[in-house]
Amino acid sequence: MAKRTTTRSARQKPSVRPHRHGKGRCVSILKKLSAYIDDELPGSLCEELRKHLGACPNCEEFVASLRQTVALCQHQPAPALSQAERARMRNDILRAARPR
Amino acid sequence: MKTSASAKQPAPVSRDAARTAASFDMLYRDHVDQMYRFATRLCGEAEAAKDLVQETFLNAYRGYGTFRGDAQVSTWLYAIAARACSRMRRKRKGAPDRELSLEEFIPTSEGEFRLQIPVDGLSPEEALQNKELRQALDRAIAKLPKKYRMVLVLRDMEGLSAKEVGSVVGLNERAVKSRLHRARLFVRRELSAQGIAASTPSHNGQPLMQGGH
Repeated sequence: MAKRTTTRSARQKPSVRPHRHGKGRCVSILKKLSAYIDDELPGSLCEELRKHLGACPNCEEFVASLRQTVALCQHQPAPALSQAERARMRNDILRAARPR
Repeated sequence: MKTSASAKQPAPVSRDAARTAASFDMLYRDHVDQMYRFATRLCGEAEAAKDLVQETFLNAYRGYGTFRGDAQVSTWLYAIAARACSRMRRKRKGAPDRELSLEEFIPTSEGEFRLQIPVDGLSPEEALQNKELRQALDRAIAKLPKKYRMVLVLRDMEGLSAKEVGSVVGLNERAVKSRLHRARLFVRRELSAQGIAASTPSHNGQPLMQGGH
């Protein structure tokens, strides 16, 4: 993945540089970002995007935040069933499945 | 022919029925936790998730003879659950599904480029100790139109490959990736809009949450 060149303190401050892409350019960059963070972009496109991100703090922030979002989804905990619930549900399913 | 399993079942009507019940028990034991986790992520609340799990295993029990073994059992179950989920939702008349366009995710102000939540310098596990963040993430996922939620849950939460997700929901890989991308952008925007304080106490002593992976 792209090596970020900005420092941590620079990243923590909201960027003051205006984002000057035209809408078409923005959509074209935006479209590729999941493939970029999943390492699925072909080499040349990946290199092109990486160069752009190095030069555009706003886009770099955006990619970082998308990557964080995916990581949070991947690690979001889920509740578990209790043994009693598991057993009760099994019995209910078998009861419903049997012909009367 | 196995006969010992039949002794565990309450009065099976035939040898075939006993065999089916024994296979079902194994299927249930090995996959119920996975299906409950999936169902909770799709439905967002425990009772609806339990209904979905029961419906899934009931359909699996009835259709076990049609499982040809050309897919993983878990993928087969995910597909049954996904179909059951859309049937149950149709009955409940949920919010209509809308299409998400890429244009709507272009940030329009400076503050929208980064997440306004305390994740910098923390691993995802550490960040998710924050109960408020876990709840915000659940809310963001729950707000996704359901066809986008299904793909995000299967790919980014259940860890299926794009190809497997495609076989569960009946889409090609390209369509899965496009839907997944929009779902991720949606959740990112929701999290970015919420603004969560870093000092929220973790778990609050509640031991109910388990790691999803």
